[in-house]
Amino acid sequence: MEIAAIQTHGLTRRFGALTAVEDVTLSVAQGQFFGFLGPNGAGKSTTIKMLTGLLEPTAGTIEILGQPFGAGALELKRQIGVVPEGMALLGRLTAPEYLHFVGRMYGLDRETTRQRTQELLEFMQLANESRKLVTDFSHGMQRKLAMAAAVIHGPKVLFLDEPFEGVDAIAAGMLKTMLQGMLNRGATIFLTTHVLEIVERLCSHVAIISKGRLVANGSLAELHAGVVSTLPEAEKEQRLTLEEIFLSIVGAGGLEPAQELSWLT
Amino acid sequence: MADLNGVGPVAGALSASAWAQYAAMAALRWHMFVNGLRSKRGAFELGARTVSFVLYAFMGVGLGTIMGAGAYVLVSNEKSLFLPAVFWAVCILWQVGPVMMASFQEQFDLGILLRFPMRFRSYYLLYVVFGLADVSTIIGALCCLGIWVGVTMARPELFAWTALALGAFAAFNILMVRAVFAWIDRWLSQRKTREIVGALFMIFLLSLQLLNPALRQKRHQQPQTPQERAENIRRIRTEYAPWVKTAYAAQQALPPGLAARALRQAGNRQPVGALASLGVLGLWALAAASVLTRRLRAEYRGENLGSAPKRETSQAKASSVRATLVRRESGWRLGGSSPIAALMEKEARSLMRTLPLLWALGAPLLMVLVLASIYRNNASGTPFSYALPVYVAFALMGFTQMFSNNLGAEGAGIQLLFLSPTPIRRVFLAKNLFHFLLFWLDALLVGILTTLRLGWPQGVTVAATAAWVLFALPCCLAVGNIFSLRMPFRIHPGRMTRQRGSQANALSSMLLMLVVMTVGAVVFWLCWLLARQWMAVPVFLALAGVAVFVWLHGLGNVDRLANQRRDLLLATLMKTE
Repeated sequence: MEIAAIQTHGLTRRFGALTAVEDVTLSVAQGQFFGFLGPNGAGKSTTIKMLTGLLEPTAGTIEILGQPFGAGALELKRQIGVVPEGMALLGRLTAPEYLHFVGRMYGLDRETTRQRTQELLEFMQLANESRKLVTDFSHGMQRKLAMAAAVIHGPKVLFLDEPFEGVDAIAAGMLKTMLQGMLNRGATIFLTTHVLEIVERLCSHVAIISKGRLVANGSLAELHAGVVSTLPEAEKEQRLTLEEIFLSIVGAGGLEPAQELSWLT
Repeated sequence: MADLNGVGPVAGALSASAWAQYAAMAALRWHMFVNGLRSKRGAFELGARTVSFVLYAFMGVGLGTIMGAGAYVLVSNEKSLFLPAVFWAVCILWQVGPVMMASFQEQFDLGILLRFPMRFRSYYLLYVVFGLADVSTIIGALCCLGIWVGVTMARPELFAWTALALGAFAAFNILMVRAVFAWIDRWLSQRKTREIVGALFMIFLLSLQLLNPALRQKRHQQPQTPQERAENIRRIRTEYAPWVKTAYAAQQALPPGLAARALRQAGNRQPVGALASLGVLGLWALAAASVLTRRLRAEYRGENLGSAPKRETSQAKASSVRATLVRRESGWRLGGSSPIAALMEKEARSLMRTLPLLWALGAPLLMVLVLASIYRNNASGTPFSYALPVYVAFALMGFTQMFSNNLGAEGAGIQLLFLSPTPIRRVFLAKNLFHFLLFWLDALLVGILTTLRLGWPQGVTVAATAAWVLFALPCCLAVGNIFSLRMPFRIHPGRMTRQRGSQANALSSMLLMLVVMTVGAVVFWLCWLLARQWMAVPVFLALAGVAVFVWLHGLGNVDRLANQRRDLLLATLMKTE
C-alpha cells in the first residue's frame, strides 16, 4: 500500500471555548493536487497551519510522507514547502538575499542556492527587481516571491494558502504552469483558495470544511455524484459546476435570507 | 468605527461632525485600552505603563526643578545673558528625546483614519493633539513650567511675559517635533532616502567624534599650576571669544534664543523689542507648522508610506537582468552554508537597513563625547580612571531592545523560522552570536574613542572591563531570550515613530540592565576599597562562568518555550496595524 503524502486523524484545534477545527480526518495521496475549500472562518487556515507546524493541534495526529509530524520534526520539514497566510517574507532583504537566506535555512549549499535563486527570480519575472527591498514590492510580487521561497529546496509536499490572492492573470498562469510541472514530477500539492475555478481546473481531489468539520472529501466526480444523488430525479442529469457543488454542500440555503438594507443606494 | 462613517458632510476642524469623529476616536482608544486588559499580558502592560509614567513624571519634575532653579539663579543675579542656555537645553531635550525613546513608546498610527471622511484640519489637529501625550512633550512642558516658576519668583513682574514666551516656545517645539517625526518616517519609507539618511547619520556621528579631539588637541597637556591653568583659560577665552560672540548672535535668531531674548528685553523694559522677538518666535512656530502641513497633506492626499515606488519602465533594464543578478550575487556573504551563517548574514543586512537600531547603537558613542568632556573638565584636571567601564556599560544600554526583543523585526518572517528545518534554538544562537560580536565591536569603538579623548586607560581597568563584559553579555542574552519569547512586540524597521512598543518589555529589560550594571559597580567599588583592583578580573570571570552556564541552559529550553508560545509569537509579530 502506498504511503499517503498527508494523513490526519481526528485533527482538532480549540481556542478557548471556540472549536476552530474538529475531528478532521483526511488522506492525501502522493502526487495529488488537493483542493481544500470552505467558507470564511471555516477552519481552512487553521488546518493548514497545523499541517505545516505553525500551530499545535489540541488533539489528533498528523503524518507527512508516513512519518508523524510536529514542530520538532525537522527532517520532515525539509520535505515540505509552504506559502503561509502571511507569506513569511523578510521586508528588509532584497529578493535574491531573501531566497538565498531561505535556501540556506533549508540546508542547501551556497552554490545550489545561488543557482536556484537566479533561476527562480527569472522564472517569476522578479529578476529586474533585484535591488528593491521586499517591503517595497507590490502584493502580487510578494506572492510570487513567497512561492519561489516555498519551492527553492525542491519540496515533495507543497502547502499553499491562498497563493493566487492578489496575483494578476499573467502571473497566475505562470504559477499554474509551475505547479503542474511539480505535479508531473511527483510532488503533492495541498491548496486552499476561494477561487473555485482554479480548483476545478487543477485539483483532482477536493475536501470541504465548514464550521470546523470536514463535510465532503473525494474526487471531483465523487463530490458531483454525491450532490446529484440528493437532487430530484428530473435534475439528476444536469452537469453541476464546483461552485454549485460547494454551495450545495456548505449549505448556503441553510443561511437566513439576508435582510434588505433599505438605506443602501 | 461605524461612528466615523455615519457622519454627514464634514465642515471645519471644530464643527459638530468633526467633534463626532474626535469622540469616535476617543471611544476607539478606550475600547483598545479595555480590550488590551483582557489578557494577563495586557494587564502586565498596564502595570508597566503606570510604573513608566511615574518614572517619567519624576524625571520631568526633576528636570523642571533644575531648569527652574537655573532660570531663577540667572534672572535674580541679573545674568539673563546666559538664559538661552536653559532654553537650548529644553529644546534639545524636546527634539532629541523622542528619537531616543521612539522605539520604547507605544504610538498610534493615525494613517488608518484617512479612509474616513475626515477633513485635513481634523487630521492635522489629531496628529498634533496625539503628540501632546509624548513623553518628551510632557517632560518639556514640565521644564517650561519650571522656568516659568523660576523666572516669576525672581522677577514677579515678568509673570505674563514669561508665560507668553514659554507658550510660543512650547508651540514651536510641539509642532517641530511632530514635523521632524513625520519627515523622518517619510525618508525612511523609501530605500534611496533611507540610505542617504543612514549615511548622513553615520557621518554625523563620526565627524563629531573626530572633530572634538581635533579641537582639543592643544589642550592635551594638563596645566600643572594654578597660574598655568589661569593663563590657559585666559588664552582660550581670547582664542574662542570671536567664535562665541558669533555663535551667540546667531542663536538669538533661533527659537530658544528668541524666547530668552524676549524675556531679557521684557526685563529691561523694552516691550516693543520683546514683542518683536515673540513675533519672530511665532513665525518660527508657523514655519514648523507649515513643514508639518506639507508632510501631512501629502499623507492625507493618499501617499502611503512604504508603498511600492514607481514601476520600472525602461526596457533596457530588463535586458540587463542577468548582469544585475550576477552583480548582486557577488555581494558580500558570510562563509559557510550553515543556517547559522545565513542567519547572521541576514541579521547584518537587516541591521544596516534599520535606522532605529543603528541609532540605538550609535547614540551611546555620541554620548561618549559628552561624558568624556565632563570627565576631562573635572575639578582635579585628571581623567576619570573608571571612564572606560562607564562608557562600555553605557554602550550596552544601546543594545537593550536588540537583546530583549530579538524577534521583533522579523515581522511575517517569523513564520519562516517555524517552517524551516532549523531549530529555533539555533536561530537564537545565531542572533546571540551576532549581538555578542556586534557589542564587542561597539565596545572596541568606545575604547578607541575613550583613549583618544582621555588617554590610555590602565591595563587592569581594561582587563576588568573586558571581564565584566564577559559576565554582562551572557546575562543579558540569557534573560533577553526569555523576554523575546515572553514579551515580544513588532518593530517596524522603517519607522522611527508610529511603533507599537511594549512598556513591560522596556521596563523589564531596563531593570535587567540596572542589575547587571549594579553588580559591576559593586565589584569595582569593593576592589577599589580593598585597593586590589586586579581582583575584579577573577571575580567577573567567575561570574561570567555562571552567566554562560545559565545562557546555555536557557538556550536549551528555547525550542520548548518557543513551541509553547508559537501562537502568541506569530500573532504578535505578524500584526500589521
